[in-house]
Amino acid sequence: MLVIENCRLTWPDFTAEYSMTVRSGALCAIVGPSGGGKTTLLHMIAGFETPESGKLTFEGINLLPLDPAKRPVAIVFQDHNLFPHLSAAQNVALGIRPSLRMSGEEHRLIEETLQAVGLSGLDARKPGEMSGGQRQRVALARALVSGRPLILLDEPFSSLDPGLRRDMVQLVGELRRRRSVTILMTIHTPEDVADLADQMVFVADGRVVASDTPSVILGGSLASRIAAAVSDT
Amino acid sequence: MAFAILALVAGGFIALAAVGGERPALLSIGPYLWRVLAFSIVQAALSTLLSLALGVALALALARRRFPGRGAVLALLGTTMVMPTIVAVFAVFAVYGRSGWAADILSLLGWRGEFSIFGYPGILIAHVFLNGPYVARILLDSLSLVPAEHWRLASALGFSPAHIFRHLDWPVLRAELPGLTGLVFLLCFKSFAIVLALGGGPSRSTLEVAIYEALKIDLDFGRAAWLSLIQLAICLTLMGILNWALTRPPTPHTVRSQVQRHDARNRSLKLFDAIVLSAGALFIAPLALSLLSGLDNILEIADADLLRAFLTSMTIAVLAATIACLLALALATAARRRRVVLRSPRIAAFYDFLPNTLLAVPPFALTAGLFLILRRFADPSSAGLILLPLINGLAALPFAYRSLAPRLLTAEERYGRVAASLGITGVNKLAIMDWPLLKRPFAAAFALAMALSFGDFGIIALFGGQDLVTLPYLLYERLGSYRLDDASAIGLFIVLVAFLLAHVSGRLSHAGD
Repeated sequence: MLVIENCRLTWPDFTAEYSMTVRSGALCAIVGPSGGGKTTLLHMIAGFETPESGKLTFEGINLLPLDPAKRPVAIVFQDHNLFPHLSAAQNVALGIRPSLRMSGEEHRLIEETLQAVGLSGLDARKPGEMSGGQRQRVALARALVSGRPLILLDEPFSSLDPGLRRDMVQLVGELRRRRSVTILMTIHTPEDVADLADQMVFVADGRVVASDTPSVILGGSLASRIAAAVSDT
Repeated sequence: MAFAILALVAGGFIALAAVGGERPALLSIGPYLWRVLAFSIVQAALSTLLSLALGVALALALARRRFPGRGAVLALLGTTMVMPTIVAVFAVFAVYGRSGWAADILSLLGWRGEFSIFGYPGILIAHVFLNGPYVARILLDSLSLVPAEHWRLASALGFSPAHIFRHLDWPVLRAELPGLTGLVFLLCFKSFAIVLALGGGPSRSTLEVAIYEALKIDLDFGRAAWLSLIQLAICLTLMGILNWALTRPPTPHTVRSQVQRHDARNRSLKLFDAIVLSAGALFIAPLALSLLSGLDNILEIADADLLRAFLTSMTIAVLAATIACLLALALATAARRRRVVLRSPRIAAFYDFLPNTLLAVPPFALTAGLFLILRRFADPSSAGLILLPLINGLAALPFAYRSLAPRLLTAEERYGRVAASLGITGVNKLAIMDWPLLKRPFAAAFALAMALSFGDFGIIALFGGQDLVTLPYLLYERLGSYRLDDASAIGLFIVLVAFLLAHVSGRLSHAGD
């Protein structure tokens, strides 16, 4: 279980305070207007932002004193996930060991993971030779291969066209089921994940405004605010 | 316009070669040529190596560290590009000369040995002083373009300092270093004022100095023509390689958010950076501060000579900047037309490459050739005032072109189709469509070209004398007569004007439209 309690972050022009829980193995979609604090929430869980107060635990472990590398968290960004001078396989391998010295078994694991995200045979390609969707699949493969149980996806598919975006969301749902990982994903198009997500969280003005199942969130009183947030972006 | 520039350069060379008359065999200057060539290459290679070592180490240390005054340090690093070489010569004399600061300190410590700044030591110190900080500034800018997401990934994936160097820093350095190496080598290979003043005699001559000596001292035009041809061939080859090395995929764009590098916390790197920054400060600061010694005398040198030299320098700088910017505008417009309207990218690429090739042309040989043509039509005594702005303008053309050409393309992309549909062409197109986007980079290029010309001590060495004195020439005269107090004040004055112009240029370049 991921537990966030009154985690407060302050900047001169913005204050955020988050409280929410996510059950282990769930796929949680985070929606809300741009600038409302969705990315800040993920960055805080990943360890890139440190709250001045509050509590942040995953499976009972206090994450706050841990460096980003020590947290049980992997993250995929909207862009710039891959190092352009490394091949797809090497980019995935970074999730296991940054020195890139792999055993035979680890090589096989990388190959299998690339296959799982639909990229078999493309392991030698450099990011510049791949499409946007393929690059995001490589980033996803790296998050999976790292073996970390909590995966954060920060608007990972927003630059893809609608068809590809839905395919990628399906892939995420499938991988979540097979690998038993907990996934938090910020997304601008809630309808893409309405059938797949177990939980939907609406974040605005640096706060978790509502947290429930997608049907409740999308069908309730927040529907018009969510629609407005989506149309803004 | 491109052909006019080529014809101008070719005409100058033909005139120079033709007046050589007997056309001396290359073999007759063989041993001399080898000596000059060997010295040019060795000093340029050593200067490049040391400049890159200092530049890379400083860039990495500054990328990792934040400290009070860092902004001022970065501004200082960026200004050495427009630091007049003759002023750098003065700084080397003031710090490392026989009666310089270093000698004073060593004497206080009881050292009684002899140390000569002439030859390799002085040349290398001056070249590294001018180029090392410039390399650091360019690399630091490129390192800051690494996407913030990569830094977050490095942090999340637990990269050690070695992994960060391998996956984040080295790809940037590898992309930048070939081009920078070529550029610094080219600048040092063509070095004139520094080698002339600090070489210590004819045995320490670069090709550029040898051409100057052949023209000014020996009046041997044939030898000057041969030396120029060899320098041109070497520099053009290097420019070709440079052009190839600089052609690389565009850097991915990212928001420049302040990301704290987590390798900054590493203890060994803290120590390493402290050593690098201290050594860099110890090398650069005295040379830079030596220029401030002129403050004491700056009011005393304000006489009629200084005013006349200042006005001459300003006039030449304004004319040179006008020539550079108008030529750049004409070339960039032609390149845009070829690239966008006529769909001839190869010819457009030729226009892009042409300004850079001017960096390879030996200015003395070109000046001498043009002088030989000009004396048939104009009073030879006024040739300096015509040729100085022209040659300085051609030297500033690559920088002006780099500033204007991208903006012209942007204007075409934004408004080209609208202009075409409304039938707006020619001067109207320039005034209505291009100028609003172009005025700031044009002003920036103009100020930079003025800064480069204002402090230049090159062609003036040929024409300078009683009738034609620029500020850098006045400084050279004062240095030659060991009037170091006057020289320090004049050097400070030149630097202040050049930096002011460069600062205006920088502000205009970074200002929004």
